[in-house]
Amino acid sequence: MRQEGSKRMADGVEPAVNAPPHGGRLIRNPRDFWGGVTLVAIAAVALWASSDLPGMRGIAFGPGTAPRLFATVLAVLGGLVAVQGCLTNGPALERYAIRGPIFVVGSIFAFAATIRPLGLVISSFVTLMIAAAATPDMRWRESAVVCAALTAFCALLFPYVLNLPMQMWPNWLRF
Amino acid sequence: MTELIANLAHGFLVSFSSINLLLCLVGALVGTLIGVLPGIGPIATIAMLLPITFGLPPVGALIMLAGIYYGAQYGGSTTAILVNIPGESSSVVTTLDGFQMARQGRAGPALAIAAIGSFFAGCVSTVLVAALGVPLTAVALKFGPAEYFSLMVLGLIFAVVLAKGSVPKAVTMVLLGLLLSMVGSDLETGAARMSFDVPELTDGIGFVNVAMGVFGFAEILRNLESPEHRDIVQQKVTGLMPTRADLIEAAPAIGRGTVLGSILGILPGGGAVIASFAAYTFEKRIAKDPSRFGRGAIEGVASPESANNAAAQTSFIPLLTLGIPPNAVMALMVGAMTIHGIVPGPQVMTKQPDLFWGMVTSMWTGNLMLLIINLPLVGVWVRLLRVPYRHLFPAILIFCCIGVYSINNAPFDVAVTGIFALFGYWLVKHDFEPAPMLLGLILGPMLEENLRRAMLIARGDPTVFIDYTNHKISLGLLVVAATLLVLAVLPTIRKRREEVFIE
Repeated sequence: MRQEGSKRMADGVEPAVNAPPHGGRLIRNPRDFWGGVTLVAIAAVALWASSDLPGMRGIAFGPGTAPRLFATVLAVLGGLVAVQGCLTNGPALERYAIRGPIFVVGSIFAFAATIRPLGLVISSFVTLMIAAAATPDMRWRESAVVCAALTAFCALLFPYVLNLPMQMWPNWLRF
Repeated sequence: MTELIANLAHGFLVSFSSINLLLCLVGALVGTLIGVLPGIGPIATIAMLLPITFGLPPVGALIMLAGIYYGAQYGGSTTAILVNIPGESSSVVTTLDGFQMARQGRAGPALAIAAIGSFFAGCVSTVLVAALGVPLTAVALKFGPAEYFSLMVLGLIFAVVLAKGSVPKAVTMVLLGLLLSMVGSDLETGAARMSFDVPELTDGIGFVNVAMGVFGFAEILRNLESPEHRDIVQQKVTGLMPTRADLIEAAPAIGRGTVLGSILGILPGGGAVIASFAAYTFEKRIAKDPSRFGRGAIEGVASPESANNAAAQTSFIPLLTLGIPPNAVMALMVGAMTIHGIVPGPQVMTKQPDLFWGMVTSMWTGNLMLLIINLPLVGVWVRLLRVPYRHLFPAILIFCCIGVYSINNAPFDVAVTGIFALFGYWLVKHDFEPAPMLLGLILGPMLEENLRRAMLIARGDPTVFIDYTNHKISLGLLVVAATLLVLAVLPTIRKRREEVFIE
């Protein structure tokens, strides 16, 4: 975070030096530009999704009034941010990592998908293993041991120590 | 004055009961344990540990959560001093001088002064919370929907002004949060709004899910990007006690940090992060020799640490008296209170004095416990910090997943969290600050409800909010909000503001 701050300071003080010359380029601050454009898109989705809701009924707000009101303002301001992205210089888009997000988010979804049918023990272990694969320096055997230990810890902590009702094993494994 | 003492005495009776003392201790301990882990701030810590308080009585649960909060905060400072990685954003500035002190073999005094400063700030702000509680509640009871609406607008504007980065971007984040809060059933008519015919979405998007995704998981994604580099102080931490000279140097800084933190904590949108930044900047500015800062100046640890603890506590004031969470951590507290069937607001103090005063006084006991437990446990934290991140993050991840799942036993909630993890990652890549979004999300329903009610009472006349004769308070609040916003976009102030965040 500190590094982030100092980097930004550098950007603020000497953007012309850091950034390549922007002679004819339209998008001078791609982070702001694409950020703004995305927000406009989100606002548009919200406007569309709330278009079937009744609006003002006389003096009273309908369920659709506030969403449409805020979505409209969001669209306007998102547009403003995008326009600013064309008028001011800024840092280039940061690269997105692929491996980390895929495995981390994949493991979260895996947990969501397996916790009900497979129970806490199997689900935790699967989730942990997928998550562990998110770093390139993962070692399979070491991770398997760590994940097994963590699974055991979770299986004791949540249902027994914290008393949260949770299914431990899949139904077909119950005796 | 006598009333204040009587109230505090009543509170201490509650918080000194053995069960509550134990819960406070466990909360502070577990909070520190999680808070020490790099990259996990109080928001993620509280969200992760929220489920463990479900089975407790409301008073105990909230006392424990408050303990978790202070623990997480203090854990973050420990990490900052020992590893040069802020455990959370409010201890960013602590890394500057704290880690330098540790390098010079003075990790012990740095940790001790952080604890002592926090404790002092905790004592002062506990009294402040107790003293301001009664009068502010009286004011809150006079508030109508128009005043509440304006107050929330002011809070959101504060969040915008105090967020780092550009003002328009922060405003878009608030609006996005407000929009997200409207997903689900309409409060008055029950109509499903923006739920795309997904039955799970008609309940709305849970605050904890968003917080966990945007603050907890997105942070993991960020950390995985940069190769691991931890610079743990190698030598054994010895000689915990600061010298007399240290204490004399640090004492005024602790006092200044406490005052600054207490004020900034009460302001909506403020809280611990901004308090520690401001305190550090202030110390540096008034110092006779500013060049000492960044090289292990003890004031650079004492002041921000006192400030963030003071702010952490005084930020309970708007929550407990007005029912309005001033920042994301307090928003989580609202979530916890609702789970236990308590509606935060002015009625809490009169209807549930045990809860109110018990919680206020538990702030003091919590801080005392931190002072006692943390210093002897430094060795444990150091060992914990040696665990490589590749083993740490799967553990964090699974605790978060199980935590989120156990709130409603809903796998859908976990999936939502995953989506918000990606969204949070995207936000960071585009320099959007997620904190104002969270505040918008939590204030959204209250804001809309009061807006609708105020408009209805005024027979559809939108000038009700700036009506001088009947709604002076509302007008005043909106004027302050507008002034703040204008000031924030003015070029000169903007520069100063950027300076503060860069420090």
